[in-house]
Amino acid sequence: MQKIYFKLFVVLLLLSLSGCGYNNFQSLDEESKASWSEVLNQYQRRADLVPNLVNVVKGYAEHEKDVLTQVADARSKVGSMQVTPEVLNDPEAFAKFQAAQGQLTSALSRLMAVSENYPNLKADQGFRDLQAQLEGTENRITVARNRYIETIKVYNTAIRSFPQNLTAMMFGYKTKPSFTVENEKAISIAPTVDFGYKK
Amino acid sequence: MITHIKVSLFAVCTMLLFATCNLNAELIAIPALKSRVTDLTQTLTTDQQSQLEAKLKAFELAKGSQITVLIVPSTRPEEIEQYSIRVVDTWKLGREKQDDGILVLVAKNDHKVRIEVGQGLEGAIPDLIAKRIISEVMSPSFKQGDFYGGVNNAVDKLMDLTSGEKLEPSPEVRHTNMSFDNSLALFVIGCIVVGAFLSSILGRLFGAGATAGIIGGISWFILGTLGMSIFVAIMAFLFTLVMPYLFDGTRGDGTYSSGSYGGGFGSSNDSFSGGGGGFSGGGASGDW
Repeated sequence: MQKIYFKLFVVLLLLSLSGCGYNNFQSLDEESKASWSEVLNQYQRRADLVPNLVNVVKGYAEHEKDVLTQVADARSKVGSMQVTPEVLNDPEAFAKFQAAQGQLTSALSRLMAVSENYPNLKADQGFRDLQAQLEGTENRITVARNRYIETIKVYNTAIRSFPQNLTAMMFGYKTKPSFTVENEKAISIAPTVDFGYKK
Repeated sequence: MITHIKVSLFAVCTMLLFATCNLNAELIAIPALKSRVTDLTQTLTTDQQSQLEAKLKAFELAKGSQITVLIVPSTRPEEIEQYSIRVVDTWKLGREKQDDGILVLVAKNDHKVRIEVGQGLEGAIPDLIAKRIISEVMSPSFKQGDFYGGVNNAVDKLMDLTSGEKLEPSPEVRHTNMSFDNSLALFVIGCIVVGAFLSSILGRLFGAGATAGIIGGISWFILGTLGMSIFVAIMAFLFTLVMPYLFDGTRGDGTYSSGSYGGGFGSSNDSFSGGGGGFSGGGASGDW
């Protein structure tokens, strides 16, 4: 008879656990990790493209040293970062990661803008293929980031709303950082248009 | 005073309503997926549409991969990539787990085109191949105003490439899930029928107890393990107790009922739907 009471107790415990969101946290946590991995995966894909791209551009546009070194620097910075799933629990490391990737993004877009000035480079089939791959990868990064933002939104909402926040506190679940607009400052400052009418 | 609050509440609600309306109105709506070729610009003639449709349908029946064509006037204010991923996330082209769907999207007035490739086909159609199809097959035809030719040739190319990819013929992975779902459905239906009957005779508490006894007995008979059937009996007891409240108009929306079995090809008749394939932004865009 005692066994039955025990079983009843276990069942009630399980029910209460799922009722207060514990199980929900587990699946949401896994989901956010998975979408984070996809983000990393796509960033890695881009980092792998960079050396080839730099080599091809170097062949045609050697005196664009500034841009090329910027890209190479940003690439090595990204490559030297230790990115583990624990980054998700550390907003500072996350911000650093985002800053490094943002730097590579802007360096690459500058490289692409510069390459517009070299018709021979633009006609090179190898360069065009790499360009297509880079475009595709940037798009995948955007998609992966958006999906990450969506999952984190669900996760953070679940963790902060009552009464699950009590469970979250008890088991040490914290909100996770999400992506923000990288060039927030640049967007908020109005561009200065100068037609050269200076006195 | 109360009317004052009511009025301001009403005002806030209306404002909220307008706010949400505005948000939705900003983006181009995604058309319903009714056929493999959706032309919102009347660029293709009905003949051309049905020819393409027939070709794509035959291909899907033979290979299982879903290729669809969508022609819209414009994707503004979104970029074609953003609109495209929204479309495929809604349509879920390709089979679940195989993720072998392709969308050929043309934004006619923007002069933009995109080939969105499902995750399972990113090996067969890498981004740069998709880009080449756009720049070498579609753009030249589009420049001359030959939209049917461009789309048709691109679809041929895509079918060729997809044929080279080894995909499993028909996934039969849902059996275990189905049987669990079936027993769950049996449990719920049993509770509803038996529980409703017994509760009406014996009252709520005794009815639930009797239902638990019957359901537990049946599950003991089927499963053969006492512990498990006691668990089932307790679940049945609780379920029958709360059942009247569940069906009291305040039902939660069944998030679990849809989605996981989003499959089901409508290939046998005219209706058509996506099979639950996933996309992660693969493919390429171009212009003409």
